[in-house]
Amino acid sequence: MAKTAIGCEPTVGSLAPSKKREYKVTNRIQEGKRPLYAVAFNFIDARYYNVFATVGGNRVTVYQCLEGGVIAALQSYVDEDKDESFYTLSWACNIDGTPFLVAGGINGIIRVIDAGSEKIYKSFVGHGDSINEIRTQALKPSLVVSASKDESVRLWNVHTGICILIFAGAGGHRNEVLSVDFHPSDIYRIASCGMDNTVKIWSMKEFWTYVEKSFTWTDLPSKFPTKYVQFPVFIASVHSNYVDCNRWLGDFILSKSVDNEIVLWEPKTKEQTPGEGAIDILQKYPVPECDIWFIKFSCDFHYNAAAIGNREGKIFVWELQSSPPVLIARLSHVQCKSPIRQTAMSFDGSTILCCCEDGTIWRWDAVGAS
Amino acid sequence: MPGLPLVARETTNPGCNCSHSRPVDQMCRQDSRVHLSAEEAIAAEESLSIYCKPVELYNILQRRALRNPSFLQRCLHYKIQAKRKRRIQMTVSLSGAVNDGVQAHNLLPLYIILARPISDIAAAGNSAVFCLARTCLIVASSEFEGRSQTEANFVLPEIHRLSANEKASILTVLLVSCGEANNSLPGSAMAKDHLDMTSFSSSIKGPCLWGKIPLESLYSSWLKCMNLNMGQRAEMLSAVDMHSGFVEPSCLDEGSCISFKVPQNSGTMSSLRQVQVNISAQEVGAKERSPYSSYMCSDVPGSSLSHLIRLRSGNVIFNYRYYNNMLQKTEVTEDFSCPFCLVQCASFKGLRYHLCSSHDLFNFEFWVTEEYQAVNVFVKTDIWRSEIVADGIDPRLQTFFFCSKPRKRKRSKSLAQNAKHVHPQVVKLDLPEVMGEGLCGGHVEKNAGTSSTVPVKVNPTTAEPSNQISHQKAKNDAHTIKGGEKTPKILSENGFQNESHKAESNGFGDPCTAEYAERVASSPNVTGVSTATAQSSAGLECLQPISGSNLAPPAMLQFAKMRKLSAERSDPRNRTLLQKRQFFHSHRAQPMALEQVLSDRDSEDEVDDDIADFEDRRMLDDFVDVTKDEKQIMHLWNSFVRKQRVLADGHIPWACEAFSRLHGRDLVRAPNLIWCWRLFMIKLWNHSLLDARTMNNCNIVLERYQSEGPDPKQS
Repeated sequence: MAKTAIGCEPTVGSLAPSKKREYKVTNRIQEGKRPLYAVAFNFIDARYYNVFATVGGNRVTVYQCLEGGVIAALQSYVDEDKDESFYTLSWACNIDGTPFLVAGGINGIIRVIDAGSEKIYKSFVGHGDSINEIRTQALKPSLVVSASKDESVRLWNVHTGICILIFAGAGGHRNEVLSVDFHPSDIYRIASCGMDNTVKIWSMKEFWTYVEKSFTWTDLPSKFPTKYVQFPVFIASVHSNYVDCNRWLGDFILSKSVDNEIVLWEPKTKEQTPGEGAIDILQKYPVPECDIWFIKFSCDFHYNAAAIGNREGKIFVWELQSSPPVLIARLSHVQCKSPIRQTAMSFDGSTILCCCEDGTIWRWDAVGAS
Repeated sequence: MPGLPLVARETTNPGCNCSHSRPVDQMCRQDSRVHLSAEEAIAAEESLSIYCKPVELYNILQRRALRNPSFLQRCLHYKIQAKRKRRIQMTVSLSGAVNDGVQAHNLLPLYIILARPISDIAAAGNSAVFCLARTCLIVASSEFEGRSQTEANFVLPEIHRLSANEKASILTVLLVSCGEANNSLPGSAMAKDHLDMTSFSSSIKGPCLWGKIPLESLYSSWLKCMNLNMGQRAEMLSAVDMHSGFVEPSCLDEGSCISFKVPQNSGTMSSLRQVQVNISAQEVGAKERSPYSSYMCSDVPGSSLSHLIRLRSGNVIFNYRYYNNMLQKTEVTEDFSCPFCLVQCASFKGLRYHLCSSHDLFNFEFWVTEEYQAVNVFVKTDIWRSEIVADGIDPRLQTFFFCSKPRKRKRSKSLAQNAKHVHPQVVKLDLPEVMGEGLCGGHVEKNAGTSSTVPVKVNPTTAEPSNQISHQKAKNDAHTIKGGEKTPKILSENGFQNESHKAESNGFGDPCTAEYAERVASSPNVTGVSTATAQSSAGLECLQPISGSNLAPPAMLQFAKMRKLSAERSDPRNRTLLQKRQFFHSHRAQPMALEQVLSDRDSEDEVDDDIADFEDRRMLDDFVDVTKDEKQIMHLWNSFVRKQRVLADGHIPWACEAFSRLHGRDLVRAPNLIWCWRLFMIKLWNHSLLDARTMNNCNIVLERYQSEGPDPKQS
């Protein structure tokens, strides 16, 4: 935990809802009995901003949010392996723009589903254990990064199926990696966090040639000179417990642990001494009853707001970029009781989806927005 | 087994042996009271069969050794022969009294001459010519230069040979006394026991007294005397008539001769003088023989025979233990000879060394008492012996020890290479030098032995039946010509039984065939071989039926087989195994294509140089108290050391020179860098990692780059 000087204490948001926006439940879908671990809108392709997908058990389902709270199921993919339990998904796309669904879970195999042709496009083998999060590089949507229980983060090229880099080794995570995120503008940068209570920022600047090479690689993927990135450029100990979600907010990082709050902090890397550096905790976004791990928050496209569920099925929507943070809304429904593992905010934040452990999907729409 | 089969006794039967004195009881200490039931008897028989294979192996070795004796045995055999060579030492001396008053010493100095009469006295008209063989001079004590020479010694061949040899039988002992005339003899000639013939025959001249004793008469008397054979001294006195005459040298082409002229009045003179001569003879080579040794078996009643046999000094009792040491079979060999290979040793000690070194398939216990020498023999129950393979076990499946100098076995892919690799060793092991007992360890010899048996024992699975026939033929006196014809055929059959491995089998099969054919061809000539084996088989008769079959196949072949396996058969199998499952890259955990799996590249301990360089640079960047140039040199050095795998202190001098050559051109362009590098070398020198000479060399290299100018090769 970083110490903060007097006068530099982080500002903590008030849990009093500002009522800036009001949401109400417009739909509820019982997808199955198995818990749903991830839900995500497709921000990669502007044509499909209202398409989202969920994963739970061995199933990946694609829906479309329609007017008036209607949710239309578009596609459903079931893994052959009944024991597969997908933990995460991310939208990506091929270089020709075909939307891809990239999902991973307990088996450690990353499934790349071509949602256009409704076929499995590729399966990435390499991770030695379950995959906890997959994220897509928005600037180059064929690049995805995966965080795994095997303490490594891998960068993949979904187009060519190449494992480009492995972020692990001497300076790597010492326990499961739970979350990973691409820097929104610095294409070389990623942040990862995990059960070793740290957040690590990695740079692939020196390895970018390999990333480029991966696009033109025609030989066998297994022959690609996959490189190990052993040392992160920054290691932050912001939390004292599992860090299960982190996102870049500009150059700042939003991360959460099991301490009922999301923390916004600034990694102050020194150019001279990589790996070291100070952190500056800027703001805190309290989330009551959010003390179990593997609860992930999501943001709208512009990172104006973040929505996070909690153990009791409530959702807190925070305005991220105001100081002090403003709680936009606190969403609760009597029938929504089970832990919400992940939420999804639509492009403009007008729709919030949440997927619960009981296998339900709730759709909240902002009142008067549409 | 050779030797005298004593009593094929079991210890249940105390018989004659244990009625003797205490040491004998000790010797057969397992005696007594073991009463075997029928099954136990069968079991005992079976346990005796463990002797079969070792014995057979040694028979084979022995057959080889007949033609090609082992080096040491061959070299040292003369010693044994010399020791055993029988000869008679005859001593002639004057006994005191001469019958009619002539004092014996008046005759002195007296020449005792061993000579061969050339012409008879009668025939050559009063003259006798003798060809001199050996001469001795007898002088009275203290008379001649302090030398006392009172008797003359002659070494004669063995008595039987003497009597058989015509030339020897006519030898005569001459006694010549020339009075004082001998003073003219050169002193040098006198100084020796045996005088120089030529000088003697030429110098002796003048009137003399002479007498002769025909050796034949001596023989006959010696022959009568049984004791001489036993090594005892045979003494006799004989009176020799001395005749007077003139002695003069006569030169005939047969060597140095002397002739005696008998004067006309010889008849009157002849009986004038008589000398008593004491002649004693002793058989030298037989000295160590005990009085019992000459008895033939037939002379002595059977009951006491064994006792006598035991007492002969060269006789060794071998007790073959079996059935958990409860039973033993006994045999006795003569002349310290080895029961397995019939080699005669010079002493019990020699036998002991021979047994231990040449027959190490057995364990030996040596017993020596005053009365006998005994050896207890046990079969080594060492299961790892590749030579002895239990029945019904495929020897190819047995653990195989290849006893040789550790040489690097290259996994060569071509079979021809394999064959080449194997072949020279077969040949090498066949060399007699390797066979030398004592010189080399037992295992080498054994290997040699087995490799020598290559042709006979090839692959028992196919060759067994016919093999046995040929082998037993070899055992019978009928000899092995037929078998010899057969075996190479078997071998070649064998060699080609796997068509696919032709190249390999050809590679070393052929020389063996040739070799064996040669051996077989030679073996019928050596009658000793077959008798020996026949004898030995008599010793362990019950075992015969199963012997001759499956000795272990030769080590070499086995070795070759294994190679074949790995090279051919197992490869496709492994291949399919490799194809069956998915393999992952050791670093990236990426699934590997089959092509990659089967490629030679092994990435296991690969170092990614790019990454390592990058990490190194990053590590150096962390240093704050180091200049940029120093960091640069450090980085260059680190990557150089990593790439060239400079690991040990001893690599440093080479590394410095190579580094100077590699980076010299860049270094001379940046004076700061070159100084950093020099400082670094000095640091190394401080730590005694770099010697001054090498540092000098490095600086010479750098200076050369400097003098070449900044961009000498740019154009």
